[in-house]
Amino acid sequence: MTHRKATIFTRRQFLRTLGVTAGALAAGPALSACGATALTAAPAATAVPPTAALTSVPAPTAVPTVAAPSLKIGVLLPYTDIYAALGENITAGMEMYFEEAGGVAGGRTIKVIKEDEGTAPDKALEKARKLVEQDEVDFVTGIVSSGVLAGVRDYFDSNKKLLICSNAGANALSRGAKTPYIWRTSFTNWQPNWPVGTWAAENVGKKAYISVPDYGAGANTITAFQNSFEAAGGTIIGVQKTPFPNMGDPAPFITELAAANPELVYCFYSGGAAVTFMKAWGELGLAGQIPLMSSGFMVEEDVLPAEGDAALGVRSGLHWALSLDNADNAKFTEAYKARTGKDANVFAVQGYDTGRAIVEMINAVEGDTSDVDALIDALGGISFPSPRGTFALDANSQAPKQHIYLREVQNVGGALHNVVIEDLGEIVDPGDDSKG
Amino acid sequence: MARHWKWAALIVAILAAIVYPYAVRSYFLSLAIEVLIYSIFAMSLDLLLGYTGLTSFGHAAFFGLGAYILAYTALGLTDNILVTVPLVIIGAALLALIIGFFALRTSGIYFLMVTMAFAQMLFSIAISWSDVTGGSDGLAGVPRPVIGVGAWAYTFDSRESYYYLVLAFFLLSWIALRSIVGSPFGAALRGIRDNEQRMRALGYNTFRYKMAAFVIGGAFAGLAGALLTHFTQHAAPETLYWATSGQVMIMLIVGGVGTLVGPMLGAAVIRLLPTFVSSYTERWEIVLGLVFILFVLFAPRGIVGLLRRAVEKRP
Amino acid sequence: MSASQFIFQLFNGLVFSMLLFILAAGLSLIFGLMDVINLSHGAFYLLGGYIGLTMVRQFDNFWIALIVAPLIVSGLGLIVEYFFLRRLYGRHRHLDQVLFTFGLALIAADLIRWRWGAYVESVPGPDELKGAVVIFGALFPRYRMSLIFFGLIIAAGLGLLIGRTRIGAIVRAGVSDAQMVSGLGIDIQKVFAGVFALGTALAALAGVLGAPVLNLYPGLDLEILILALVVVVVGGLGTLKGAFFGSLLIGLANTFGKALIPQFSMFLIFAVMAVVLLARPSGLFGVKGN
Repeated sequence: MTHRKATIFTRRQFLRTLGVTAGALAAGPALSACGATALTAAPAATAVPPTAALTSVPAPTAVPTVAAPSLKIGVLLPYTDIYAALGENITAGMEMYFEEAGGVAGGRTIKVIKEDEGTAPDKALEKARKLVEQDEVDFVTGIVSSGVLAGVRDYFDSNKKLLICSNAGANALSRGAKTPYIWRTSFTNWQPNWPVGTWAAENVGKKAYISVPDYGAGANTITAFQNSFEAAGGTIIGVQKTPFPNMGDPAPFITELAAANPELVYCFYSGGAAVTFMKAWGELGLAGQIPLMSSGFMVEEDVLPAEGDAALGVRSGLHWALSLDNADNAKFTEAYKARTGKDANVFAVQGYDTGRAIVEMINAVEGDTSDVDALIDALGGISFPSPRGTFALDANSQAPKQHIYLREVQNVGGALHNVVIEDLGEIVDPGDDSKG
Repeated sequence: MARHWKWAALIVAILAAIVYPYAVRSYFLSLAIEVLIYSIFAMSLDLLLGYTGLTSFGHAAFFGLGAYILAYTALGLTDNILVTVPLVIIGAALLALIIGFFALRTSGIYFLMVTMAFAQMLFSIAISWSDVTGGSDGLAGVPRPVIGVGAWAYTFDSRESYYYLVLAFFLLSWIALRSIVGSPFGAALRGIRDNEQRMRALGYNTFRYKMAAFVIGGAFAGLAGALLTHFTQHAAPETLYWATSGQVMIMLIVGGVGTLVGPMLGAAVIRLLPTFVSSYTERWEIVLGLVFILFVLFAPRGIVGLLRRAVEKRP
Repeated sequence: MSASQFIFQLFNGLVFSMLLFILAAGLSLIFGLMDVINLSHGAFYLLGGYIGLTMVRQFDNFWIALIVAPLIVSGLGLIVEYFFLRRLYGRHRHLDQVLFTFGLALIAADLIRWRWGAYVESVPGPDELKGAVVIFGALFPRYRMSLIFFGLIIAAGLGLLIGRTRIGAIVRAGVSDAQMVSGLGIDIQKVFAGVFALGTALAALAGVLGAPVLNLYPGLDLEILILALVVVVVGGLGTLKGAFFGSLLIGLANTFGKALIPQFSMFLIFAVMAVVLLARPSGLFGVKGN
């Protein structure tokens, strides 16, 4: 029924992977001695962490596992409507990692079953049921919209099925609405905003105006930024909540922002709204006049080419940047561009890391997905070098503990990109509302 | 003779509906629950659109209000449907009374847009008034419904039991709407649909009749919204969005306007078609669009019209 | 709100109003004359914008895009009218029109995403209109300012076409009584086809003109369709005057709503529409009984 959309790796790819993996295992001790760089040089080998390989050498490649049933992964991401580009990016990143891993995890062939998340929570929930009950997937990954995440939360919770969320950042899922069965490989909305509040108060100005869309992520942005900004001596002189989902022409909002004479404007828009807002900001002559700071998504690489010069100089916080200087990122960004023809963006990174987290998790349980608690334990314990730095999950917030980078949009060789100007350190969601 | 066949078919259909949970896998049971809920929603719109000629494009207002009233009371007050369902029905009917009071002064496309305007205003409130409505994330964690009191309380916590609850509500709604459209009142509604001026000349207070239909339709739409919320355990602002009004109207047109079977068939097609098509191709919107166009060109009276033609053609 | 701020917001509002007018004028004509509820109008807007994008990239010239995109889209409009819509005229077919044009909008949206992708695309305005003019010491973008003039020119042009020419007289007569017009021996089919082509061309024109301001992305088609429907209904079906003043009312209400009560600016638009229709059930300039 779902064969045409499923990604099935061919037998030849599989055998080749077995060969490569076996070779890598033989060289296991040598690899671990070489450290991260050697690991990334042989991507297929990274599918099995050296430690696991040493303790259970034969398991992942043992002959019987060839007959093991394929690992069915349900992917629930938006492929239509306003979030379609995000869904495409996350999927591309994830499939890229699965291919690097040879299409195998824990000795089982990876089979991806994709469904459209859309934007309506009840329809997305129906897709989740289809993946879990009809396709009998081992677990589900995806979810871009926080509204959808809120809508499917109880289903995964009450059915004790694992959901690895690769985008939606609603704080609540790490706090009041936390469930053992939903883990995030992406971020919480609090993470990229909170450290920037301190930085902004110390380096940019003490009087800030906030402008965000009137929805969950916007509210999370306000509280996170306000908390640290005020703690560092800043004052929020105004908060503007713009209509969601359709903002329309932002010029009237921007006119009001400018008239309030803030020392800086902090905002969070994404997708079409980000481009529309940023271009109007530039056209109204405010680029370079009033310092604009934002959550990193607003000037991320997916929207930056369309935003153009208006975005120059915008500073933002995010858990990744295209120019982030590490070997994994260099390799990843190059491979992603070769694959898709576009510069990588944070969503692609999240997809890529999700792919790797899945493979590492399945390797750790040696392909046995029957016990969801063991699966969750394995997921909580993984750690690997990622394009965003080291990837590891915080057991309390069930989201990544990750560095937030302060980035500035600069002209790099004729094109606009985010350049890291400061590492704001490792940021872990507090797991409660104590810090906004 | 034909009458007997109709009754036989009906009994077979009801028996099939009763044994259905034992015959299918859980996912198909969940689809059936959704189709039944959306059938109630579509039938309630048909009372307005098909029987009274009121083209409402704001029917999501009642569906969504039902969803939120249920979520709010089930989360804060009680999950007993003996309390929640009457509250939902009263709430949705009151809203219909208010919207109807204003909207029924207009007609045609203007009525269509005024009703949409009211639903969109409610959507805007649901998004912005987050302390009460949960904002864009909606209200989650809605418990499964309970019926009865004390020792005689029963919780519909399994999917099978919830299916039977929804089936019961569906049958009750169907019987109720059927007797409404079959009554002299229903005949008056059809008279208004066909020629309102004549009805007025005959001494009917058409405004009152239209208002009554609008309130009844709103109440049933509220019930459908409440049933969906118990099932998804989540009240979302999207239930109030114009796309929801559009979806139920499309269900009706595809199924066949002005019948009570049509809405059910339409709800089944519109709810199930994207689900199955999207498993085969990412371009499911094109397929859906083409199906709509084919319906318009070749089945202008919807599925019911197609079936009727097929029956009439037989010698 | 200071006086200069007020003036500035007034200009913002006029820009948006004129964009709405160009979009809504076509929808209103199609509604008024042909009695067709065209839910694919937003799709024609978006398609116009994307074709404009390709033209701008190809020829590096905004003006070519502004002329060619509406021509292509109106050609598509003619095809749609000739092969499909023609079978669906008449009051009793309103629901079929809804289903047909919505199906068309779905297909168009999917094809657009197929051809142009799901990324947000921006279209640079013409080089001649780069930069800004100064209003009360604040910069106002020249391109946005020129949109006000474009809107007025198109309004004047349409006004002359509908109000002063023979074709316009036929169209006006058709709006009030299409049967009478065909009774006079005029081929109303051709008039319908022409009006539908004109309407889709206006949608595409708005798409190209609006792209530098609102950009292009999946979902914009329905977003803009709702606004156009609101304008047309507030103004009254089938009248150019209605579309013009409806656009002004909705555009300005939206802009000042955004300035004063940003959170409820969407709410305000629908509230304004409800109030107008309650006071005047056929819109500001609508003919009663339409």
